[in-house]
Parts: sequence; C-alpha cells; structure tokens
Amino acid sequence: MTHAIEVENLTKIYGQPNSGVLAVDHVTFEVHQGEIFGFLGPNGAGKTTTQRMLTTLLEPSEGRILIDGHDLAHDAYPAKRRIGLVPEESNVYTELTAWDNLMFTASLYRVPRADRAGRARELLETFGLWEKRDVRTENFSKGMRRRLSIAMAIIHRPSLLFLDEPTPGLDAQSARAIQGLIRQLNAEGTTVFLTTHRIEEANQLCDRVAIINHGRIATIDTPERLKRTFQRVQSVEVALEPNGQTHGKALGGLAGVTTTVKMGDKWRLYTEDPPALLPVVIDYAAAHGLRVVSLNTLAPSLEDAYLEITGGQIGTVMHETQEDRPRRRGMGGRG
Amino acid sequence: MSSQKGARIKDELAQAWTVAVKDVRVYYLRPGMIMFGFLMPFFMFFSFSVRRELGAAEGLARLLALTVFFTAGAAGPFIIPTERRIGTYDRLLAAPMSLLTLLLGKTAVGAFFAVAVSGVALLAGLAFFGTGIAQPWLLAAGIFLGAFSFSTLGLAFGSIPTTNPGDVQMPSTLLRWGLLFISGVFIPLSQMAPAAQAVAYLSPLTYAQDLMNHAVLGSGQIQPWLDLAVLLLSGLLFLWPSLRLHRRARVLGR
Repeated sequence: MTHAIEVENLTKIYGQPNSGVLAVDHVTFEVHQGEIFGFLGPNGAGKTTTQRMLTTLLEPSEGRILIDGHDLAHDAYPAKRRIGLVPEESNVYTELTAWDNLMFTASLYRVPRADRAGRARELLETFGLWEKRDVRTENFSKGMRRRLSIAMAIIHRPSLLFLDEPTPGLDAQSARAIQGLIRQLNAEGTTVFLTTHRIEEANQLCDRVAIINHGRIATIDTPERLKRTFQRVQSVEVALEPNGQTHGKALGGLAGVTTTVKMGDKWRLYTEDPPALLPVVIDYAAAHGLRVVSLNTLAPSLEDAYLEITGGQIGTVMHETQEDRPRRRGMGGRG
Repeated sequence: MSSQKGARIKDELAQAWTVAVKDVRVYYLRPGMIMFGFLMPFFMFFSFSVRRELGAAEGLARLLALTVFFTAGAAGPFIIPTERRIGTYDRLLAAPMSLLTLLLGKTAVGAFFAVAVSGVALLAGLAFFGTGIAQPWLLAAGIFLGAFSFSTLGLAFGSIPTTNPGDVQMPSTLLRWGLLFISGVFIPLSQMAPAAQAVAYLSPLTYAQDLMNHAVLGSGQIQPWLDLAVLLLSGLLFLWPSLRLHRRARVLGR
C-alpha cells in the first residue's frame, strides 16, 4: 500500500542556493494512510514551508514529494484532486454567503453538479452553519469562518487533508468542536496532516508526530513513545497553603529537584525520581506548618519532550497568541 | 485516453468559468475596481474631449477604445494581489487545475468587466448622440478581442509577486497612460509624424482604436483583419509573462 505522503530529501532555500535562507533542510518522512500526523515545531522551524511544498504552493529547491504515489514534480493534477487544504488564515470569500462559498469550491473541484447541493447541506449541518447558510461570511465569527474553511476543504471528499494551525485564536468551545471534527474526518478515512505549534493539541489528536527544528526533522514517533524517551523530565506538582507561592526557592532546593516551575497556584518540581521526592515534599510542608492541598506525580508531557528536542528550557515555554507569531508571508518567519 | 483528455479540458474550461464568475461577483463593487476600472475611462474621455471639436461618432469610437482599454486592464492588478493578501489565492493555486486555466479565468474577469462597461458606453452613445454603427460585427469582435488583449496585459502586472495591489496598480496605470498618448486615441494616426506613427504601431491600443474607427465611422488606417490579429496575438503574448511570474512566485514563496 502506498503512503499518503512520501517525502525524500525535501529542501527549500529562499534566495540564492549559496547565500539564501535554508528553511527546510533535506527532510525525509512518510505519512501512513489513515493516520493523523502532527507536524510540530517552533516558529521559523520550517513547518509552514514544508506544508506549502506538500500542497504545491511552493516549489522545493531539492527533493521529491509523492502524494498517494503521485510525484508532485511530474504529476501534480491527480495529487491535487486528493488534497484538501485548510490554511492558517480562514480564506473564505467574505463577500459571499456560506452557501455560495461552498458551491464555488464544489464547482472548482468538479464535484458532480447533482451532488453539490446535497454535499453542501450535509457539511453545513455537520459544522453547525446550516442556519447561517445565506449570511455573508463577513458577518461570521472567527470560529464560524474556521469551520466553513474546513467544510470548503473537504467538499470534494479528499483522502488527504492538510490543516495549518486549525485552532489558534479560537475560544475553547470552538477549538474543541474543530478537534472533534478532525477526529470525525479521520474516523471516516481521511488522512490528516496537522501543522501546529499547540503541543497538547498534537498530543490529543495525532497518531504520530514529527518535530521539526531549524529546518530538520528532530524526531518522528507516537506521542506516548516520545514522552517515555524523556523520563528525566518527570515531575511532582504540589499546591501548599497558606502562601504556597512564596516557597518556590526552598522547594527548588529539596533533594532531587532539578527545576522548579510555578504553575498558577502550584509548583512543578522536575525530578528523575518522583517517588523519592514525594516524602521529601511532605516533610517540608510539615516542617513549615503548610497544608498540602494537592500532590501529584506527572509523567513527562509531550510539551516537555518537545522542549527537550527543540532546545527550549523547561519552565520558560510560552503559549503563543496569534499576535505573537510572525506574519505568514514574512521571509524567515515561516513556521 | 483521448476521452480522458477531453474530460480534463472540459473540466478546466468549467473551472476557468467558475473562477471568472466568482471574481465578478466578489469584486465588481470594490473601490479599486470602480475607480481604476469603471470611472477612469470616462474621466479620461471627458478630460481630453470636452470643448474640443469632436463629432459624436468620433467621440463614441474613442470612448469605446478607452473603456475597453482601461476597464479590462484594471482587474488583474487589483484582484490578484488582493487575493494573495487575504489568502484566497492559495485556494485557487492549490485547486486541481492548470495555471493556464486559472489565468484564463482571471483574464475572463477583466474582459467581462470591459465588455459590460463598453456596452454601457455604447448604449449611451447610441441613445444620447444618435450615433450609428457602421460595422456591428467588427465592433463586437473588436470589443471582445480588445478586452482579451488588455485584460491579459493587466494580468501580467497582477502576476508580479506582491500582496499589495498598490505595488502594481501604479506601474500598470503609468504604462497604460503612456500607451494612451502614443496610440492614436487623442491624435489620429493619420495626423502623426512618421516617427510617432512607428511608435504607435507598437501599442495594441492603436489597433483597438483603429478597429473602433472602422466599426463606428466605417474607416480606419489599418486593415481590420490586421487590427484583430494584433489584438489576438498581443493577448496571447501577454499571457507569457504572467505564466513566468507565477512560476517565479512559486519559487519565491509569495
């Protein structure tokens, strides 16, 4: 069985080969049929550049891409018919209604005329937009546009769906609804290539993740195996009262603690041996007249693994907002 | 195999049509189109024709050439950079159709606007000035081929890899103004010095104006078949830089 995506030595240099910016550096990987494949990396790592090459929007400087066995360099047409693309920005036509946006896309992808209206209705109902079908999308919320954008990308029933940062900027309810839709599409047989910087989203959705850093694939594995690789970033999380927040420095000095990170009203104490640390923390609380409100041991998270791989420092990870990220078209700022 | 090819061509034509219809619906009321496409030819006409001794028929021939020229060429430089900026162009580029199909769809948009606006100019000329049309079929062919040629000229500018319409609207307007003054629109070819005539023959607008003269007045300086051929060939020729610039944009990632 052919892979949904096969990438071999994929390279992109912006500018001249000798003096340009190397955005993607001889990347090789495969995406299996029917999986949700996460593509993780910090800003400027080469995520979006890779995805744009996979969707024919950007010409590689070097390397080979096969989509369902079709080489994009020689045979892009059948590959394009199989692809659905949801870019980072919801690129719906704001002058048109939701219905017209879908009908336009259906016509563009040559969905048989007899099926278009039925398919558009099915999608609008699935995505909770049927009641708003005749509203111009300039009046839609960000979440509604995002859902419509996904509906437009799958109106032709693609076997491979590319999603670029599907949830940033959305409220929790919309983000969860979209994650549910991604799972549903995957359950129906669609292979999903998910580009994201949201580690928890990748953890919850993906069968496998690739972590790209400085244009190179640092690792590809399942989220659970990646977490297990980084046992040394296990931790104990403790909430103390009263004034638990003021004990960070002292907790960091306990035996076995490598790093201390404040997590709201709690302290996360990184250690290689959580069971050994637990009684030490309890003793510390008793000695200082503190009540232990909660005490948990935590396995390494995908975020921990990600930070280890990408060279980030545990405890300094910032959850970016839409505004933090560089503009999509800025040179060198591509993900 | 040939039936597959036939189906593909049919699909591609339908896709070009889909792109054109969508663009007409989305962009006809945008300020950039209204200003540069719909009002500009009338401004130019009245600026250079009012209070000059100009017969109604000559005026109509000039107005038709101006509307076809300005309106057709306004769509590409406005629509493509706008779509690149808001991200909708990626949707078109990723769709299963050839680049040529996409460009033909975009060409059709400018051509459609040009035919519509020149139709309004024609009706106004006929209604208010009682002007006759000497050769209606030649007029129709001239408007369509002129619209095609000038739309692909505008498309060439629109294909410059930028996300800011202003980056290409200014140079494209400058070029069109330049062509306007060398092309026998305001000074008839027959009254030009030989050197100016030689320059005028380099501009496709010269042939469009001459065709309008044939069609409305019944006489021109160049053979009508040559006017039509030049408009067709120049239209095809202008597609070439658009194709090249789009391929360049794909390399640059813009």
